[in-house]
Amino acid sequence: MKKYIITLLTLFFVVALVTSCENDLPTRADFSSYEFSGLDVNGGTWKPVLLSTPSQIVVEAPEDVTSSAYQAELASLKSATANLNGTQIEAVEYWTNNPIIRWNEIALELAAKYNLIPGPNADGTYTLPNAASPAGPPPFPFAHPPYTSRMLAYLSVAQFDGLISAWHYKYTFNRPAPYVTDSSIPYAYTKTSLPSYPSEGAVIAVASRDILTAMFPLEADFLAAKAEEHLSSLIWSGSNVTSDIEAGKYIGTEVKKIALARAAGDGMKNAQTTKVKSDSIKAAAFARFGWQWDNQESPVRPVGLTPLFGKVKMWNVPTVEEVRPGIPPAPGSPQFEKDVQELKDFANNLTNEQRKIANWWSDGLSTYTPPGHWNRFAKEFIIKYKMNPIRTARTFAYMNMAIMDAGISCWDAKYYYHYPRPIQTIPGFKTILGTPNFPSYTSGHSTFSSAAAEVLSYIFPNEASQCATWADEAAMSRVYGGIHYRFDAEAGIEQGKKVGQYSVNKAKLDGAN
Amino acid sequence: MKKYLLLSLLSFSLFGANSLLAQTPSDEILMKKYELCVAATYDHGEWNKYWEGTYLRGNENIGTLTRNTVMPMVAAGITDKLNILIATPYVQTKSSGGQLAGVKGFQDISIALKYELLKKKMGPGNLSVLTTAAYATPMSNYLSDYMPYSLGLGTNEFTLRAIVHYQLDKGMYVRAAGAHLWRGQTKAERDYYYNNGSYYTTWMDVPNAWNYNATLGTWLFNYALRVEASYMAMKSTSGDDIRAYNMPQPTNKMEMEQVGFFAQYYFKKKIKGLGILSYYSQVIDGRNMGKSTNMGVGATYQFKVKDSQ
Repeated sequence: MKKYIITLLTLFFVVALVTSCENDLPTRADFSSYEFSGLDVNGGTWKPVLLSTPSQIVVEAPEDVTSSAYQAELASLKSATANLNGTQIEAVEYWTNNPIIRWNEIALELAAKYNLIPGPNADGTYTLPNAASPAGPPPFPFAHPPYTSRMLAYLSVAQFDGLISAWHYKYTFNRPAPYVTDSSIPYAYTKTSLPSYPSEGAVIAVASRDILTAMFPLEADFLAAKAEEHLSSLIWSGSNVTSDIEAGKYIGTEVKKIALARAAGDGMKNAQTTKVKSDSIKAAAFARFGWQWDNQESPVRPVGLTPLFGKVKMWNVPTVEEVRPGIPPAPGSPQFEKDVQELKDFANNLTNEQRKIANWWSDGLSTYTPPGHWNRFAKEFIIKYKMNPIRTARTFAYMNMAIMDAGISCWDAKYYYHYPRPIQTIPGFKTILGTPNFPSYTSGHSTFSSAAAEVLSYIFPNEASQCATWADEAAMSRVYGGIHYRFDAEAGIEQGKKVGQYSVNKAKLDGAN
Repeated sequence: MKKYLLLSLLSFSLFGANSLLAQTPSDEILMKKYELCVAATYDHGEWNKYWEGTYLRGNENIGTLTRNTVMPMVAAGITDKLNILIATPYVQTKSSGGQLAGVKGFQDISIALKYELLKKKMGPGNLSVLTTAAYATPMSNYLSDYMPYSLGLGTNEFTLRAIVHYQLDKGMYVRAAGAHLWRGQTKAERDYYYNNGSYYTTWMDVPNAWNYNATLGTWLFNYALRVEASYMAMKSTSGDDIRAYNMPQPTNKMEMEQVGFFAQYYFKKKIKGLGILSYYSQVIDGRNMGKSTNMGVGATYQFKVKDSQ
C-alpha cells in the first residue's frame, strides 16, 4: 500500500512539474499608466505632416468651467466615476494614459491576422484579395510587408496630426482637467497640468478606429467595439467630460478624412498589377540587365507581390530614383559567386546562433511583418522613456513614414533590377526560411530595418547602437536563412539609411526639438 | 508468455509518424526481474495530404513529406511487475516539393515505468490491468517551430496510461488503453506569433491530449507469432487550427485516428531471445496533421542479466 502512495505522489509531482513550469504568455505590453517625461506644452505649434497648419481643423471654444453646462457635465462625470465595476476598471487599466500604444498593438495584431498569402485554387490559378469585395475568399487584405508599412504610416500620421491639432486647442482654450476643477473627481492616471479640451484620447480612438477600418474593412465591428471601450474609458478614468470627448472625436474624424484622401490617391491601388504589366516589367529588366526573377512556387504565381509598390507616393523622399541603389553583381560574376559560396556554406554549417537569428527576424506570414517588428521596438522605447501621447505619435509617425518610404524604395529596386533569388540561381538549394514572392535585390528586411533604425536612433540617441545592431542582424538573418545574397542585405542597409535620413531631416525641422 | 517483451515505441510522432505504436508502452507484456531487452526499429512515414483545420488538402510546395525514424530502446525488469523502458528516436525529415530544408537529429528521450496492478484468471482467460507513466523531454535543442519538418514538439511530456488486457487461454486477446498526455511549453526562436491573437513571447503552449487505443490480436504457432489489428485516436484538448495555406505550429489542435496491423515473431528455438516485428498503419481522419502512412520493421533481443532466483 505504501508503495502505491509513493507512486501516486511521484506521479502527482511530475505532472505538477510539467505544468507548473509554464510561463504566463504575454499578449500585449505589460505596462500601466505612467508619469510623462514632459507635456510638450508647445506641441500645438509643431509642423503637422498632412495638415497645412495646426488650426486647419476648426474646433469651437468650449463652455467655461463655471458654466452650468460644464457643471452638469462634471456632475455626470462624478457619478460615472463612482463605483466602477470590474470590466470598467479593467478597461481603464488596459487603455492607460498613452492609448496609442494599445492602438498600435491592435494594428499589429490585425496585420498578423491578415498576413496570409492566398493559396492556389483547385485549377492551379490564384485569386487575389479584392478591396471591392473584402469578404473574399480570399479575405481582403493580404497584409504583407508593403501593405502593413502603409497601414502603419497612415495610422501614425493621422494620430500625430490629430494630436498636434488637439494640443493647439488645448493650449488655446486651456480648459483644465476635470480633477483640477473639482478635486473630488478621481483620476485613474498620474495627474498632469495638460488641458483636457479637446480630449487627446478621443482623437486617438476615432482616428485609429477609422484608419484601421479602412485598412481592414472586415474588422469594422471589432474596431468599433474597441473604440467604444476606449472612449468610455476616458469617462471611467475621470480624464474627460463629454464635451472634451466630442471635440476630440471631431478632430479624429476630420484628420482621418485628410489621411484617407491621401491614401486613396497614393497609387497603392495600382501596386498589384496584371500579368501583362508584370511581364512587361520583367521583360524590361531582362532587356536592361540580362537576368530576371521568376517565382519558384508550385503552381507558379503569375505575378509577384505588388510590382508597382515602388511607384507609390513617398512621404519624405522627393523621388524614388534618388535613393535607388546601384546595380547588383551579375549572376556568374566573381562577387556573385563569392556570395553564393557563402550561402552554400551557411546552408551546410549553420550555427545555432545563426539559425536563431534567421528565425528571430523572419517576421513572415501570420506575423506583424518587419515594419511591425520595428513598431514593437518603438513601443518599448516609448514606454521606457515615458513619452506622452503627442511625442509617442511623432515617434511612430516619423518612423512609419520612413519605413513606408523604405518599402517603396526597396520595391522600386526589386522590380527595376528584377534580380533572381538564391533558390532560382543555385540548383537544388534548400533554405530554412520560405522565399517570398518578389525579386531579391534589395532585401526588404534590411531596408525597412535600417530606415526604422535611423529614425529611432535620432529620437532615442541612447539606443542608437542597439538599433544599428538590430538592423544589421535583421539584414544578415535573410542571408543565414538562404533567401538573400549578402549584397542584397548590404545594399538594403545603405538604402534604408539614406531613405530614413529624409524623415530624420524633416523631423529635425518640425519644431519638436 | 510474460517473458516475451513486445517492443513498445515511445516516440511522440509529429504529423503522424509511427503512431500505431507511438503510444507510451501500451501493451500488457512485462519482463521479469533482471531481464533486459534491447531493441531497434526503423519507421518510414509519409503523407502528401494534410488537414488544415478539418480541411484535407495537398500542397505542391511540400509534395510528399517523408519522416524516417530509427529508434533504439532498452527495457528492463526491475521486478516481475515493474518494468522500465527508455528510448530515443533519431528522426530525419524531408519533402519532395518546395525549397525548405529537411532536418535530422535525436528527438526526445522518454523514460517509462510500467506496472502491473492486477492479473487474474477470469473465465476462459486472464485479465490484466496495467498502468504506465512516461516522461519525455527533448534530447537536443531542435526547433519545434519548424513544422511540418520539425523533429518533434520540443516540450516536456508526461503521460499516464491505463491498460486493460483480456486474453483467452487459446491465445486470442483484446486490449484497450487510454492515456492523458500533459505537455508543457516549447521555445520558439521568434518572440512574436499569432494564435487567435498576438503573443509576445518565445514560448508556445503545446496542447495536452488524450490518447485511446483498442487492439484485437492473437498468438499463433505456440506463442511464436503474434498478430494484431488496432485502432488509435489522439485528440488535443485545446489549440488553434493551421491558418489558410500557412505553416502549422506547435500550438495547433492536433487530432487523428489511425488503423494498423502489427506482427511480431520470436525465434524461440533457433536464436533464443530474438524477435522481429513489422507493422503498417494508416491515418484515416485528422485535424492539423498529415494523412500519414507508416511502415516499420524492428528487432528485439532479450536476455537475462542474472538469475532472479
